[in-house]
Amino acid sequence: MIEVKHITKTYGKKDSVFVALSDISFVIPDGASVAILGKSGSGKSTLMHTMSGLDHPETGEVIIDGQNILALSQKEIDKFRSHKMSFIFQSFFVQAKETCYDNVSLPLEIAGVAPSRRRSKIEAALTAVELIDKKKSKARTLSGGQKQRLAVARAIVNSPQILFADEPTGNLDSVTGAVVEDLLFNYNKQNKITLIVVTHDPDLANRCDIQIHIKDGKIESIEGLK
Amino acid sequence: MKIRDIAIRAGRSLRQAKARTLLTSLAIGVGAFTIVLSLAVGAGGRTYVSNIISSNTNIHEIIVQPKQDKINGAAKPQKYTDDAVIDYGAGYTMKLLKQSDLDKISKISGVKSITPDYIVTAKYITGINNEKYRVGVTTILEGLKLEFEAGSKDGVENGGIIISDRYVSVLGYKNATDMIGKNIQIAVEKGSDSPLNPETKLFEFKVVGVTKKSAMAIMPSNGVQLAPSEMEKLFNYNQGGTSLANSYPDVVVITDDNVNSKDIKNIINDMGYDAQTAEDLMSFIFQFINVLQGILIGFGALAVLTSVFGIINTQYISVLERTQQIGLMKALGMRRRDIGRLFKLEAAWIGLLGGSIGAGLAVIGGMIANPHISKWLGIGNISLIIFEPLSVTIVIIGLVIVSVTSGILPARKAAKLDPIEALRTE
Ligand SMILES: Nc1ncnc2c1ncn2[C@@H]1O[C@H](COP(=O)(O)OP(=O)(O)O)[C@@H](O)[C@H]1O
Ligand SMILES: [Mg+2]
Repeated sequence: MIEVKHITKTYGKKDSVFVALSDISFVIPDGASVAILGKSGSGKSTLMHTMSGLDHPETGEVIIDGQNILALSQKEIDKFRSHKMSFIFQSFFVQAKETCYDNVSLPLEIAGVAPSRRRSKIEAALTAVELIDKKKSKARTLSGGQKQRLAVARAIVNSPQILFADEPTGNLDSVTGAVVEDLLFNYNKQNKITLIVVTHDPDLANRCDIQIHIKDGKIESIEGLK
Repeated sequence: MKIRDIAIRAGRSLRQAKARTLLTSLAIGVGAFTIVLSLAVGAGGRTYVSNIISSNTNIHEIIVQPKQDKINGAAKPQKYTDDAVIDYGAGYTMKLLKQSDLDKISKISGVKSITPDYIVTAKYITGINNEKYRVGVTTILEGLKLEFEAGSKDGVENGGIIISDRYVSVLGYKNATDMIGKNIQIAVEKGSDSPLNPETKLFEFKVVGVTKKSAMAIMPSNGVQLAPSEMEKLFNYNQGGTSLANSYPDVVVITDDNVNSKDIKNIINDMGYDAQTAEDLMSFIFQFINVLQGILIGFGALAVLTSVFGIINTQYISVLERTQQIGLMKALGMRRRDIGRLFKLEAAWIGLLGGSIGAGLAVIGGMIANPHISKWLGIGNISLIIFEPLSVTIVIIGLVIVSVTSGILPARKAAKLDPIEALRTE
């Protein structure tokens, strides 16, 4: 369960203060798929960064499994992210000069997984996104859709508890985008992990269990919560 | 993240920018090359010189000269003293040691023997074919190690003579071995006679050894050498009755085996003489080598200093180019410390690569050049370039440390990078 309590995030100094997030609170049950919806600049990415402990809001708490992650030390929050969270970005951020295998290996290395236990995990993840035959290819040789599938493999390889996806289909055409969406939702259902998707695409949002609508840094409405 | 994984990733990102990595490490390589080669030349030079010193000198040997007047060539006339002096005119004089000085020195406990440097001017040397040749006559020194073509030092005390191989054929002998046991004559003029028509006496000696030029000899003996007792006879005939009788420019003191010759040297100096051990006399060569080596190492250090800026520059650019990669790694939970290590290890690889290339080229180049240099200098198969594995290793390790230190600032920049900023694309 993720509890977000009274998050406020501002940018700028005194006379030119800009409130990016204003008193945001909601609760997400384990294994849910959540869409954070809103126009560009409404604060969706900022909210996602806050929930993952990358960003530090002025006030508020993010309680995951009873623990306020915003109160953790840098070392502890890094460890938390490497073991329990993963990310997919609009611009993929795969390492073009590295092989697909090495790209997927990175989160395991960061989490300190022993080399002997990596191979099977990496191959399973690449198989799940149907890129196992590209294992030894450099990531720059992949198409856009393949790059995002590689990013999905990298995101699922260490069996995260929460998967954040920031506009995962924003740079893809509808056909390749649908493939990536299917991968994410199947993974969410089969492994009962929490999937948090930032998007402004209503069709993608409607596939989620919960929709949180953001406008100008405030919650406009939350749909789907029982 | 494990250090091993970080090191592998560091190596991989360097391989992904081969040209840049190579060029950056080449600057370090120049420094490594220069430093390794100068250390090898210094080591070789010192070994060569200490071989020369141990072949030519005896650690128990002290050379004593009279203390010369400080004000020499004074405009004022000098007061008479009964010192033995050679007067060169214009107020320039050279003091000599007298028998009384020798007696004083030989009374010092720890002095085993004292041999004056007899100055004998021989007229000529002649042998089986009666041809006459000029020749230098010197006293055989106990500490001097000679290399013999034939024969040995044995028997030189009993009317024997040691002669350079240069005289074998000119005096009419087939070869060095042929000359051993043969009698030769040295002609000396009587100094006390009128210089216009002096009496000349032939001294006869039996050849006991024929020396050859030695690579280790600092002053190759190319004349003849006699035992001190024989030299004394020649000297007395040559200089007896002149003003230089019983006076010597210097004497060689040999100390007992169980005393430190430096202590005796100090005692003699305190008595008002100018004493130097054989090692003192040679030490200037070491100083020369050390200064030369220092200058070469200085050039190497300059190259290393330049490469420091190269590494800082390269690594800064690398951080800027890879902000997204760094941001991603931080988002995935990689610790600041590990990000810093990644960049420091990249710098370490650059240092290791450059250091190994430079040191490797220096070793290969030195080994190829070494025989040619030795041949050119005519020192046989003695190495003037000696690579010590320990010092080569220390140079490489030192350069790795320098590289890592240069990588600290860029690594800190990478570690401090804000992942949110780094991952922002719009
Ligand atoms: N570092 C920053 N400094 C100032 N303003 C910022 C900064 N980061 C984000 N913002 C502002 O905060 C708002 C929310 O940004 P963001 O969360 O990226 O929006 P979204 O992801 O919904 O498009 C935007 O108006 C943006 O301009
Ligand atoms: Mg955004």
